[in-house]
Amino acid sequence: MILHTLNASPSSAAFADCIGVVRSGDAVVLLGDGVYVALAGTKAWGEMLARGAQVYLLGCDALAAGVAEFAGGPTFIDMDGFVALTERYPRQQAWY
Amino acid sequence: MAHSGKKTILLVLRHSPYGSSLAKASVDVALATAAFSQAIDLLFLGDGVLQLIPDQDSRALGMKNVGRQLASLPLYDINHVYVDAEAVMRYSVDLSQAPVDTRALDKEQIHRLMVGYDHLLGL
Amino acid sequence: MIYSLLVLSSPVSGHGSRTAAEFAQCVLARGHSIRRVFFLDAGTLASSGTSVFAQDESDPVHLWVALAEQHALELVICISSALKYGMLDQAEANRHGRPGPTINPVFAVAGLGQLVDACAHSDRLITFGG
Repeated sequence: MILHTLNASPSSAAFADCIGVVRSGDAVVLLGDGVYVALAGTKAWGEMLARGAQVYLLGCDALAAGVAEFAGGPTFIDMDGFVALTERYPRQQAWY
Repeated sequence: MAHSGKKTILLVLRHSPYGSSLAKASVDVALATAAFSQAIDLLFLGDGVLQLIPDQDSRALGMKNVGRQLASLPLYDINHVYVDAEAVMRYSVDLSQAPVDTRALDKEQIHRLMVGYDHLLGL
Repeated sequence: MIYSLLVLSSPVSGHGSRTAAEFAQCVLARGHSIRRVFFLDAGTLASSGTSVFAQDESDPVHLWVALAEQHALELVICISSALKYGMLDQAEANRHGRPGPTINPVFAVAGLGQLVDACAHSDRLITFGG
């Protein structure tokens, strides 16, 4: 089980690398520019969903980007929720 | 609670050798970790495989030769070096000429590799 | 649990440094301890004692300093990165004949051995980049 954190936009190498490795049983936290991956109906969001992992969106970053109401269904988390995820998942891979 | 028992570490290298300071920083991390007798394995992923292109000559840039630094990894007992097979193919990297011996993995194998470590250092 | 953080995010590009500081605060609030926060590459700019942030903008340097002062949090900047970015304590400023110090004194300058130690003694190693 891996907790992936993605802090880069869907057009980045980080997104492509991340998507290649994520598997079901993992979790992904979208933060910083990673929040754009969650835009509903986009190719990126479809690709992320297809990995079968639990996807989370850092709420404050989504709010800043103005994408909160356009998100395609990730679970919104705050910083406390982010820490809680790191308690559950023993290892984190940062993609940026 | 953590104790000072051995943790396992995988360093995941994703950046090209000279386009940013991250490649050099990651090699420094690998060598320092080994110098302190902490085991560390390496995975070159995505653009990271570009660090394995042979015959790098960075003299004109005034930068340390990343390829040559990688060639010294076995001297530090860093012997488990993995590489992203798909990226190798995409960039046509000749692994037989790479500065260090590597084992190529597909994405499924990469995931299985990563879940076997206590810590993943993404640089 | 024991956490350590590895911060590569610059405090002046994006908000990764701020995110890391807020994460650290939450880690402590949830009852965990932090062995060390290790700053590498552009992350070392978080130690700046000379950065000036606009009054109506977030000051990530101040966030880290406040955390260190309130919780005795160990903040370490990697010496080789720090030197390149001009983040010098008094000893390094003297050694290299530069004006200094340029870092806030709550930060310590040290080598990668401190990152290795953090990895060896932590249950969680969380990296912030980009």
